[in-house]
Amino acid sequence: MTDSYEEYEAVVVGCGPGGAAAAANLARNGVETLVLERGVDAGSKNVSGGLIYAEESAPYTIDGLFPDFREEATERPVTENYIHNVAGEKVKTFDIGDLHHHDTAWADSVLRRKMDSWLAQQVHERTRETGGGLLTEVHVTGLLRERGEIVGVTTEELDPIKADLIVAADGVNSELARDAGLMDWEEPEEWFQGVKAVVDVDPAAINERFDVDADDGAAHLFSGDLFDGVRGGGFLYTNESSLSIGTVFHLDSLAEEEAEPHELLDSLLTHPLMAQWLGDEYDEREYSAKLVPDSKKAAHPSPHEDRLVLVGDAAGQMQAQGPIIKGMNHAVTAGALAAEAFADARSRSEPHRAGELYEKKLHDEGVMDKLRPTRYEVFGRLGELGPVDDLSNSVAESAVGRFGVRAASGLLERAYSSPTLVSMIPDTKLPYVTLPTVIAEELGERVEDENTVSPPDLADRIGDLTYDVGDPHIELLDKSFEASGTAVTACPVSAKDFGGGCYRDERVQTNGTEEHLVSLDTQPCVECGTCAVVADTEWEHPAGGKGVEFKQG
Amino acid sequence: MVEYDPTEYEIAELGPKIKDIDDADELREMLDLEEGGEDRVPVKTLIEDRIEKVEDEGDGEVDPETVDLASLTVADVANMVRDIDDADVLRDLLEREQAGEDRKTAKSQIESRIESVEGSDEEAGEVEYVPPEEKYPELDHPTNDKQWVEGTVGAEYRDMWVYCETQAGALVDVSKEMLGKARGLMDTYNEDYGEDERVVAVLIGADASDHVDDVIAYGADLVIYHEDDRLERFRHQPYSEIFCDMARAGGDLAAEGREEVDWKDYHEPRYTVFPATNNGRDLSALVQGELDSGLASDCSGLYIENAMISNPAKVGTAGDKKEFERVLHMKRPDFSGFEYSTILCIDKPNRDFHPQGASVIPGSFELPDPDFEREAEVVDYEMELDDGWFQVEVEEFDRLSGGVDLTGNDVVVAVGRGIGDDPTTGIELALDLVDAFDEADLGLSRGVITSSYSFDGHVEQYVTEERQIGESGQEVEPDVYIAAGISGAIQHKVGCDESDTIIAINTDLDADIRDFSDYLIEGDLFEVLPRLTEAVEAGDLGAVVGEVSDD
Repeated sequence: MTDSYEEYEAVVVGCGPGGAAAAANLARNGVETLVLERGVDAGSKNVSGGLIYAEESAPYTIDGLFPDFREEATERPVTENYIHNVAGEKVKTFDIGDLHHHDTAWADSVLRRKMDSWLAQQVHERTRETGGGLLTEVHVTGLLRERGEIVGVTTEELDPIKADLIVAADGVNSELARDAGLMDWEEPEEWFQGVKAVVDVDPAAINERFDVDADDGAAHLFSGDLFDGVRGGGFLYTNESSLSIGTVFHLDSLAEEEAEPHELLDSLLTHPLMAQWLGDEYDEREYSAKLVPDSKKAAHPSPHEDRLVLVGDAAGQMQAQGPIIKGMNHAVTAGALAAEAFADARSRSEPHRAGELYEKKLHDEGVMDKLRPTRYEVFGRLGELGPVDDLSNSVAESAVGRFGVRAASGLLERAYSSPTLVSMIPDTKLPYVTLPTVIAEELGERVEDENTVSPPDLADRIGDLTYDVGDPHIELLDKSFEASGTAVTACPVSAKDFGGGCYRDERVQTNGTEEHLVSLDTQPCVECGTCAVVADTEWEHPAGGKGVEFKQG
Repeated sequence: MVEYDPTEYEIAELGPKIKDIDDADELREMLDLEEGGEDRVPVKTLIEDRIEKVEDEGDGEVDPETVDLASLTVADVANMVRDIDDADVLRDLLEREQAGEDRKTAKSQIESRIESVEGSDEEAGEVEYVPPEEKYPELDHPTNDKQWVEGTVGAEYRDMWVYCETQAGALVDVSKEMLGKARGLMDTYNEDYGEDERVVAVLIGADASDHVDDVIAYGADLVIYHEDDRLERFRHQPYSEIFCDMARAGGDLAAEGREEVDWKDYHEPRYTVFPATNNGRDLSALVQGELDSGLASDCSGLYIENAMISNPAKVGTAGDKKEFERVLHMKRPDFSGFEYSTILCIDKPNRDFHPQGASVIPGSFELPDPDFEREAEVVDYEMELDDGWFQVEVEEFDRLSGGVDLTGNDVVVAVGRGIGDDPTTGIELALDLVDAFDEADLGLSRGVITSSYSFDGHVEQYVTEERQIGESGQEVEPDVYIAAGISGAIQHKVGCDESDTIIAINTDLDADIRDFSDYLIEGDLFEVLPRLTEAVEAGDLGAVVGEVSDD
């Protein structure tokens, strides 16, 4: 009875920026397009640090596809960029505006609920004209195959749907990419985990504390010894009437150090440097978390299979190279290119070649080189090898190295602002922890401010989130602490000795022997996907409309 | 000369270029070039499409009010009038055609359009009805002896009838929801159509009369009930027979002895509404079938409106449009609720489809506020129930338990992850305390239910989701809520916050539960619970709580 399935020319799964761009460009080419979104509203499942870029070199930008985008969907344009090297209470700040402005037409801070739900409206209007439209609260669970070939999608709420093109824009934990065997959740080295607090601040206070106009904003990055040696850094972006403050760490480092992500975020929030921006009143609107693919390692070089194409996070298209963090813009470009590829293929009467054409366009338009830079493949990977890393670390910390830092402070600032150098940064402690710490120790000045912020504890952060609890969507396959214990610390809504989180470690007496186990309650789950990588689970998203609902995102 | 020689381009490049060419001749030249050269099918299609588009634009958009009919072919006229719905414009066209070319075919096209826009004249349009079995004698007609074909035409129908279901002696909420909705619909209906039709509530059961006052309070103008001990449980046949007998009383098909009733003088109800519950679905299908009408099942919206219909099966003549009045529009979810369709039940020229019936999904309409001041006519409907209807006997039945219901207890003793060191003993101690009270039961935090604790067999039966207190479990408000080893996350708080007195036992004095408990006993539940049990048994709980707590 496969003939009776609903059929569209294109099905787009996920209505984030990648899906929206794909859908808009498909609709523009007259392709009948159905968009499926699992949240109660687009944006309710989405989290990002909060900057969206439009690159001068990109073939598509979000405001090109959605002309009123900046007016309607963003917070503030970012006009100032700094990186702070921190050692204890000493801080050395570099202006990295040049790096930021390189190839940047504009960059705005965003909150995803507002942004994505605006995009969804536009997408719905445009796709409706093609005979499709946007359906929310539909959880796409996997791929529909006929004779081994991908021909559509299966969902939890509806009958399977067939399509000539399937765009998997279902985010970092893409169930479609995994079903197709294109992506996996195996290696912690391929991922970052970010956690973020959106803090309510009066717009006038933002203008004053950051010394910006009402329609300007600032971006600050943080690195150094703030984070107990875990490799990663922090960020602060100004929104219209709030601040997005977060931390992003290499997941393998988080796991190794058994660090608690929410505590690392708190060490940024409570650092004296933050006092000037946070003031005395601290009102946290929302705590959120997200897994971030490291495109250098995870971006799929050939993100398609049969009629399926992957775009955005689902394809690992998230560029994180030192202080450069760009994801949404690449998702937009990729989504629009996938749509263009399908339109081309269709007009040549070869719709099945859309995937192949999409891959070619990603390379020809330079997207793939930004995601997986050759310079990193050659130099960065080398720096990650044990002996080289150890050597660099010790040189940087040695007296000679320290002298070099003192002598070359101007040079260093320029180095941070060079896109070429930045793209070579290896994923080791040297650039994230050692060097910034040495810089701050040698060049930094002591921050005298007193930070009085006391962030909410984890129970309150979970309590403040909105959930529509459905059936458990994650199954813990191996309950032993050995296999899955890392999730207790690495999960952003779990912690050691905390009974109210997702993962809890338990010692259970059975017949006189004690077992060290992990138990799972998916009620507080923020659907970040961390446990899919660090624990032994069967990981799925909750049913459409169920699970966490982010109001800020 | 052409600007682009198509043979020099890929089709993808050609698409955007060709859009800007408006000259059909140039396009034709391009087409020739392609045919003489690469001869690619998609390219030719692309060019041909464009030619068609360009030429269409040339002669599209005629204004029928000003068009020079002489410039149009008869076929053009036929195409043009198809889009005109205004009879006056059409008449004007007809006059101009008569004055001008006066083509017979053109005139007949315009005339037939006028007819279909305005509806045909009564005398002219009426076609003699020939029953299908006479019209097509060569076919066998398996439905012509169906017992439920009434074959009624043009009968009188009035009122909205609502079947008010009771379960286990109580009027179910959906019955009240339907009455409230029916009240609103009929008030508007009576105003719109200048009528005085009623909301009729039907009650059938062993204790039907108990609910008369209620259904009046929720909106009925007339209550008809039939009571019989044999009707304690729902059974298809007697329930359907009774409902249909009531619906036909005083009408053309009334049962013997009930041809004349003083509360009803029409054939059958205009509208019927049933609950889309298990029993209501059963009954609605049987009743609507017996009354020879249709049923829109599982509806979530109802409204009454006139409807313009062009379906020839309903209108009688192809091409006609006819407005049907007072049509119940029945909205029902399709496609798992992502789309809706609206069902109309409309008479045919030779067969009535009334009552217009719907079953309604519980919860679709608001539960109205009852008005016990309302007055209504009440009819105790008498009829003999045939023993044959009760051949199926219900010998035994079991009401599925709704699981553990923790509400209604004087005391709830709840335990949380504080029992982690020895979960089995923790549950045992809590159960001991439960037993010490008269009306008490055991509750659990979600943290215990989702844990990997292993419980011994004798307490394992208590560790089920049915005992969960909180946002995703039960909400309780006993006189005393004892929370042992529960930290008091917000999700738990909503499940017990309304209790009169909350006594918490916790080793951590900073636990969130401190914020909403009346007494906080600092201590290990393994030590405190037995002492509380002792105290309750001795009758001085207050003293112990007061002694150990300084909060």
